[in-house]
Amino acid sequence: MNVIAVVRLDAGATDAVVASSLTALCAMLPRVGVLDRGVFACDLRGTRSLLGEPDQVGRRILATCRRAGTPCTVGIASASFVARVVADRSPLGEVHEAGADERAYLAPLPVAILPLAADVVEELALLGLRSVGAFAALERGAVLDRFGHAAAAAHALARGEDAATVHGIVPRRRIRARRRWDDPILSKEQLLFALRVTADEIARSLAADGMAALRLGLALEREATPPLRLERTLLPPTADPAALLRSLRWALEEWRELGRVVGASLEAVEVEPLRGRQLGLFAPDGARREEALALAQHLRTRLGEGAVLRARVVDPDARLPEREAEWDEVVA
Amino acid sequence: MAASLASRADLDGAIERIGRRFGTRAMLRGDAAERQASERRFLTGTSFDRLAGGIRSGAPLAFVGQGSSGKLALALRAVAGAQCEGGHALWLDPTGSLDAGAADRAGVDLERLIVVRARAREDVIRSAAAGLRSDGLRLVVVDTGCALAPAEVTADQLAPLVPLVRGSTAALLVIADRTPARLALPTYAFERVAWQRRFERTSGWSFSVSRGRRDAAIFQAGALGRTFADSGLGPERAEGLAS
Repeated sequence: MNVIAVVRLDAGATDAVVASSLTALCAMLPRVGVLDRGVFACDLRGTRSLLGEPDQVGRRILATCRRAGTPCTVGIASASFVARVVADRSPLGEVHEAGADERAYLAPLPVAILPLAADVVEELALLGLRSVGAFAALERGAVLDRFGHAAAAAHALARGEDAATVHGIVPRRRIRARRRWDDPILSKEQLLFALRVTADEIARSLAADGMAALRLGLALEREATPPLRLERTLLPPTADPAALLRSLRWALEEWRELGRVVGASLEAVEVEPLRGRQLGLFAPDGARREEALALAQHLRTRLGEGAVLRARVVDPDARLPEREAEWDEVVA
Repeated sequence: MAASLASRADLDGAIERIGRRFGTRAMLRGDAAERQASERRFLTGTSFDRLAGGIRSGAPLAFVGQGSSGKLALALRAVAGAQCEGGHALWLDPTGSLDAGAADRAGVDLERLIVVRARAREDVIRSAAAGLRSDGLRLVVVDTGCALAPAEVTADQLAPLVPLVRGSTAALLVIADRTPARLALPTYAFERVAWQRRFERTSGWSFSVSRGRRDAAIFQAGALGRTFADSGLGPERAEGLAS
């Protein structure tokens, strides 16, 4: 049976407190989703033997959020919508449950608690339907015909037929690797060689989390000069160490002199779930093509428009050779 | 016997770890290295392959000869050969003289030929260096132009590229009018043997490709790359064509 606890933090909680509360909840419970700013849904299925009854879990959630810096309310029900309504209608610092008959719990509440457009609520009021119970008593087909799909979805919620599940989030983790070297590194090639280890480390962390790096940040500590910070976007996002290193190589190519590098910090600044890559069946070598296009992109950035070209034969029988082909940018 | 198998497995594991760490083919057994050295060559599909044994990735090469001596015709076939294995090629064309039609007729896949028209010497060298560092290319060609329309860069000024090509997956092919004076590259000399005339007009020429005093490969090229014939290997053929 579904058991969902919706946690509503105090409206005055700062962003930092909201973030730390979320992190604390993610550490405590197996699946926590974000419904709104400061409103989290926690799926409590399968936690009874480990964490106890739902109301006990609710009290632990209250204590956890208090430690994170804010009071909260916890609503518990079998459906996310009902649990949220319970949480919204409870005073701060308390845990409430909807009870066994959730439809009966919702029935006396005003219809405005349902996700309905204002004009629909007004129309329902003109029809004398002011409570959730009265709205739920209508026939599903009649609601759909008269008010459309959005109202039909709200009608299902009013009947306690909420099929929504909690979409758990992965709490953000800093994926970072650092290295310091006793002897300063003077050339790009040496630096790239030294960065292989950090790229491997980042790739391992990404793979362990099932994530791919979308943006990489590299900070180079240098002797006698301020640190150099570089950032690269990786498209497609990847967890492949060779691709990470390739991207760093292009970033370093932009700099004529790097100075005396004594340390580096590499971080996956932005990540997203790792997806497989589809290779064309007859593509000769997809990775090489990507690399060649990355090179073309790099050269175009350096040399400007009209310098990195690809030819296309338009008229093989043209009388003048210059009309035989046209030239296009490799990367527009 | 068991100990020998175990040590072999350890060695295989160590080679695999080094490969994962430093890139495939970073360390190889001797027999595999020899086999892969041949795999890292690509062919032009002409008698030049018998003369030079193909073009080796990770090595520089120069085609040197006066204008209309067939350097570009053979270089385009080298590009086509490089593309046969699925890679791209980079053509640095500072004089903007690459004939796309001739390239197409030579069998080059124009989709996989990136042409860079960088004029400044510094830009040419940096672009070629970036190409040699890239893993996506099989061949980087630098055309330094001819005597009538020289580029700002000469073959001698390409010295910074030589250390880069050693560790590259691509070969470096330099096309020049004159043999570099200060840069030692494996050089193939192109010489025009005779003009071919048809209906009182020049329709092409025959040329020889040689290295040192060894055999020469003889070719016949039509104007604008419309025809290309391979006459085989041997100095006697060149003499025959000249007469």
